[in-house]
Amino acid sequence: MAEVLTHDEHDHKPHGWRRWVYATNHKDIGTMYLVFAGTMFFVGGFAAMLIRLELFRPGLQFFDPQFFNSLTTMHALIMIFGAVMPAWTGLANWMIPMQTGAPDMALPRLNNFSFWILPFAFTLLISSFFVPGGAPAGGWTMYPPLVLQTGASFPMLIFSIHLMGASSILGAINVIVTIVNMRAPGMTLMRMPLFVWTWLITAYLLIAVMPVLAGAVTMLLTDHFFGTTFFTAAGGGDPVMFQHIFWFFGHPEVYILILPAFGIVSEVIPTFSRKPLFGYEAMVYATASIAFLSFIVWAHHMFTVGMPLAAQLFFMLSTMLIAVPTGVKVFNWTTTMWKGSLTFEPPMLFALAFLFLFTIGGFSGLMLAIVPADYQYQDTYFVVAHFHYVLVPGAIFGIMAGVYYWLPKWTGRMYDLKLATWHFWLSTIFVNVLFFPQHFLGLAGMPRRIPDYAVQFTDWNMVSSIGGFGFGLAQLMFPYIIWKCVRGGERVGKKAWEGAHGLEWELTSPPPYHSWTTPPSDAVIARGAEH
Amino acid sequence: MPATEIAAAEERRRRVRRSALVWSLFAAAFYVGFIILTLVRGTK
Repeated sequence: MAEVLTHDEHDHKPHGWRRWVYATNHKDIGTMYLVFAGTMFFVGGFAAMLIRLELFRPGLQFFDPQFFNSLTTMHALIMIFGAVMPAWTGLANWMIPMQTGAPDMALPRLNNFSFWILPFAFTLLISSFFVPGGAPAGGWTMYPPLVLQTGASFPMLIFSIHLMGASSILGAINVIVTIVNMRAPGMTLMRMPLFVWTWLITAYLLIAVMPVLAGAVTMLLTDHFFGTTFFTAAGGGDPVMFQHIFWFFGHPEVYILILPAFGIVSEVIPTFSRKPLFGYEAMVYATASIAFLSFIVWAHHMFTVGMPLAAQLFFMLSTMLIAVPTGVKVFNWTTTMWKGSLTFEPPMLFALAFLFLFTIGGFSGLMLAIVPADYQYQDTYFVVAHFHYVLVPGAIFGIMAGVYYWLPKWTGRMYDLKLATWHFWLSTIFVNVLFFPQHFLGLAGMPRRIPDYAVQFTDWNMVSSIGGFGFGLAQLMFPYIIWKCVRGGERVGKKAWEGAHGLEWELTSPPPYHSWTTPPSDAVIARGAEH
Repeated sequence: MPATEIAAAEERRRRVRRSALVWSLFAAAFYVGFIILTLVRGTK
């Protein structure tokens, strides 16, 4: 009888290393993505600490300029492709089947393959520190002709980017196929949680733009090794063309990094406001509008290369247009909270910080969109402050909100709320100490990507570095809180948060190895979809 | 498992295969196509 029961529960899983190397279960693969992203977050963060250490005082303190440039380049590549993107894919793996009523991702073996590409890609990339000439130092944007001067690490850079791109595309195909085909009967598109919607749109963006990056870096490769002159003026090529191609990928990439955060914030705020999300449909259309607009704004990254006035006007106005759907989102999140019964557990705190601080990043983005102003801000620390506000209290806080929101569901245990609240406050205070002064430095004229600077920039650089060290140290709390939760947090029931809605909260905590072996009933779906 | 459920599961499997194939071909064509285009233009 016991044997029959064991067989019936469909919960037997492989053990030991086989469970992970041959993983096809969406939760196992999601966990691997998240662990990988966390590891890369600390590797990229270590590079950031070294950068802030060097910039603590003017003059060359610890590193030669070439190595400093390698640090900035690798910090960006590791954080973007190794930390934020895999973290989103990890969350997608965990949550999309659970939120749509599917038993697993549609293509489990492909899922395994797309994850296991990543450790090889990043081993290749990071090991470039140890080859002659050092790691790539031309910036994550890889502009020629500078990047063509990279030493032996150049083909490693190109090949690792191809691997990351292939991994992202395969992951995106899996997400689209799962959402389109595997939803439970009754889970209509307009009943889907916002996190699933934002990921569906993100997946389309990934398929559209990663090949463009692959094409661009292949052209760099042939310019470097096979005698072509796509971007070499001496042979009739045009280095500015690379910038156009790169940013045609690069701007949608920004939205690839941030759209899933919009989805998470749209889940968290209603839960802790104990109210349905205000304007669900408007949120879906706003997300789709932002994704569409992201394809027609790329040249705002390169106003100063010289372009016709009409082009400058077009890209300035199209960029400003993005403020409209983004404003709709900020308005809807705020209105969701209006007259709600708010409580401030860690996921809500991170979502609120996201709301305030991402909006600051959005505002400085609007300032950069103004062509004549951009001529002043271009390549200064103002730009560094802007995109870090979008990516750290934006994307990274979104990931933290998501992890703190769903961790009790994943583990069946509640984490230490007090410690997590400390983690939140330390992160939020130090992230502002770290990045806000960089606005002042940029407006005062400090250029980005330099290991040394004029003495008048010393004070704010010191403040920024202190903020950086504080933020870095505060992040050590994150793995400790998770470890403590997994080891012995207090048990929670199906619904870890009182105000939570959605199919994932109808499953046990932790959920069964295969999520929805029997599709949820229409009544359960309707209860979860009370937007 | 009742026959209707088996048929539904089979139909879903077909749909998954079909859309996986369509999107893979689309992505592969875009990915490889862009690279081939650059190489062809580069050798002119």
